[in-house]
Amino acid sequence: MVRFITTSLVAVALGAFALPAHAQQSPTLTVYTYDAFAASWGPGPALKEGFEAQCGCTIDFVAADSSIGALRRAQLEGETTSADIILGLDTATIGEGMATGLFTEHGLKFDGLDIPLDWADPVFAPVDYGYFAFVYNTEDLRDPPSSFEELAGMPADFKIVIQDPRASTPGLGLVLWIKAAYGDRAIEIWQGLAPNVLTVTNSWSESYDLFLSGEADMVLSYTTSPAYHIIAEDDHRFAAAKFEEGHYTQIEVAGVLASSPNQDLARDFLAWLASPEAQAVIPTTNWMYPVVEPEGGIEPGFEEMIDPSPALLLDAELVTANTRAWIDEAFSALR
Amino acid sequence: MAAGEPYARARPWRPGRRIAGRTIALAVALLIAALLAALAVAGQRFPTTGSAALDIAHLLRMSALQAGLSTILSLIAGMLLAWSLDRLRFSGRGFVVGLLSTALVLPSLVVISGLIAIWGRNGWVNFIFTPLGLSSGSMIFGLGGILAAHVLLNGALAARVFLDRLEAIPPEKLKLGRSLGLSPLRRLAIIDLPALASSVPGVGATIFLLCFTSFPIVLVLGGGPANQTLEVAIYESVRLDFDLGRAVVLALVQLLACAAIIIPATRFAPISTLFGRRSLLHWPDRGFTATLQWIVLVILLALFIFPLLAVLARGLGPAMVSVLQRDAFWQATATSLTLGSLSAFLAVALAVGLGMSRALEPANAPARALLGLPVFAYLAVPAVVLALGFFLLARLLFIPTGIAAPIVLVIANALLALPFAFAILSPPLEALAKRNEKLIRSLGLSGRDQWTRIEWPLLGRPAGYALAVSFVFSLGDLGVISLFGTADFSTLPWLMYRAFGAYRTQDAEAIAALLLILSLAAFLAIPKLLEVLTNARNR
Repeated sequence: MVRFITTSLVAVALGAFALPAHAQQSPTLTVYTYDAFAASWGPGPALKEGFEAQCGCTIDFVAADSSIGALRRAQLEGETTSADIILGLDTATIGEGMATGLFTEHGLKFDGLDIPLDWADPVFAPVDYGYFAFVYNTEDLRDPPSSFEELAGMPADFKIVIQDPRASTPGLGLVLWIKAAYGDRAIEIWQGLAPNVLTVTNSWSESYDLFLSGEADMVLSYTTSPAYHIIAEDDHRFAAAKFEEGHYTQIEVAGVLASSPNQDLARDFLAWLASPEAQAVIPTTNWMYPVVEPEGGIEPGFEEMIDPSPALLLDAELVTANTRAWIDEAFSALR
Repeated sequence: MAAGEPYARARPWRPGRRIAGRTIALAVALLIAALLAALAVAGQRFPTTGSAALDIAHLLRMSALQAGLSTILSLIAGMLLAWSLDRLRFSGRGFVVGLLSTALVLPSLVVISGLIAIWGRNGWVNFIFTPLGLSSGSMIFGLGGILAAHVLLNGALAARVFLDRLEAIPPEKLKLGRSLGLSPLRRLAIIDLPALASSVPGVGATIFLLCFTSFPIVLVLGGGPANQTLEVAIYESVRLDFDLGRAVVLALVQLLACAAIIIPATRFAPISTLFGRRSLLHWPDRGFTATLQWIVLVILLALFIFPLLAVLARGLGPAMVSVLQRDAFWQATATSLTLGSLSAFLAVALAVGLGMSRALEPANAPARALLGLPVFAYLAVPAVVLALGFFLLARLLFIPTGIAAPIVLVIANALLALPFAFAILSPPLEALAKRNEKLIRSLGLSGRDQWTRIEWPLLGRPAGYALAVSFVFSLGDLGVISLFGTADFSTLPWLMYRAFGAYRTQDAEAIAALLLILSLAAFLAIPKLLEVLTNARNR
């Protein structure tokens, strides 16, 4: 009996491990990305279907636990990596991407995008964008703080959950946000926030779960997070708090690897990604803003999101040169 | 002259067993070295963009303080619980014992969410006490929260192992004790504590290592950078800075710190306790002691069970139905069950190999320590270093990641479970060898006969338990899969983690509840199965 169970389990396993066959003649474009992008509920499947319908190729999304994880995986694999594209780095981690020397220029022009700046990066192409914000439950919190100074002045039993800047892109985004808004006074803001920080989690999901279970009054997330609750769950309780200093911008990007044998195809994919057709997929799968407005406009529900202006964004080189020092500064206040 | 000879070398010389044990220990040691070396070599290839400041002494202090307190509290809670459970009889006792074992191996995220659901600001405790004007606030965050989570996980492990030792006390000893009219306290000192002592160093060292290298619990419940550990610092070096060279150095520091704990613990010769089948003799305490045992039992069990109940309560919603209808769920379940079974068999086989070899060594022989060391050392290597090392090794051997993933997961999970399997199986193997050495010599039993006639029939219960621990340990693993998991290749914890990452909290909670149920089922079923199998040979 035991033997029977074991053999049937092994049989099941072999079925589960069987690799997808790529025997076709058409080229395969392999995109390393973060998990939520490739997942069945993410933008991956619809983008795959959309591009495959016109390219005569196969798109293969390979999910790592995070975008930095995807980058590191390609880096470890070096010349032999099967990745053609890495998708999911953002404006704060572009510097990390450049430092690897893995990427090649895309040679594309991105004019007339609906993003808060002119896109001129020669290596990375924009995929979607959003703004960091603190999300709260309107039923529990009538009068949310409207600036970091107000937030820092809240009583100690007012709790926020944030993410570790070394492990999570919103976590890093908060460090940059405070820096962009307050410059040399950033340390004061961090010291003021310290008593209100319930905990610093490893990933966005842990923070958001703590917030949803009522352990914290606010969570570091995106201005568009409430759209998920409105559209997917018809739940109108959640809102992002508008801060008068403005909100920090995150633009997610994709880049072509220099080692890719399919660079032309990869460029086509990046260009198509910024088209209205592809961008129509983004809002309700990745819960971010599309970089160009899709036909028929953005999904109803998104118009209820707060206006993040002024949109903040620090220069990429400045960010790369100072990230560690700014993280140390924030942590010295939290410690 | 001839009569004296059997005593001159009482333990039989079993070259096969000796070689097997040494080979396993050496292989594990070499694997650890290879993993670290692969990382160190790779580290030289990649430029790092800079590293955040680090205070190693502070990290070591914090790790040691937190792990030391966790270990002491876990051992105390475990002993109290085992003591009560050994004396008391009630319906559902078997279920409770099975339940105890599941906590250790649950994904940390599940345990954290259970603890928060009870003790958090919005938790059950505050729900009851806030109307009375009492509120615990956010006390589950900080050092207290870390300790609570660790004691919940590891105290249960300790209780289960200790209970096994208490139940293995031979009935003759109990009869003698009863006829002498030992008081409950004297009974504890003369009969119980010596029986427990042999497993304290192993269990204690294991718990210390688990807490010393604890990662998600420290990160989520720690409240931020103030309560960091070395393991977290290593993760950060790898994650953002990609400073693999420094990660290796930190991993070595962690290994050395852990070795300082492991070496004395493994050198400490376990006192051989006789090992038999579940004692049929039940000798309860009476009066005040029994009342005390009931109180201890109810309090500790409530602390333990309510967080798990909370996980179930949160998970058993409408999301459960939609999760159960998803192909991805069943595929992940099949993968998890297969990987769990394979790594459980591997872990137990390795533990038996090591345990047999170790049982041949006289007390205090250096070989004893050497045989146990690599097993525990593996536990001291940070998960992120292991995952990366395996990833690099697979590439070095030109094995595609997709094919390497299941193999690596089986090996990695088996090795992670090995210290537990070893701690469970080594004392009984030792006791069996010692008790039966004259018999074995006088009958001239071969190693094989010794196994089929003596060890296998009597190892049923501990082996079943070791198998269940290893199985569920692998079922709950989230460390190694994170680098190898993809959308196509997924285990249940990975699926849960992914759902958490996409606003799908309810799905994640449903999967957490299912994982808990599955773990519990495994703990109830596997030891029974093994008991039946081993007894069948006897009848």
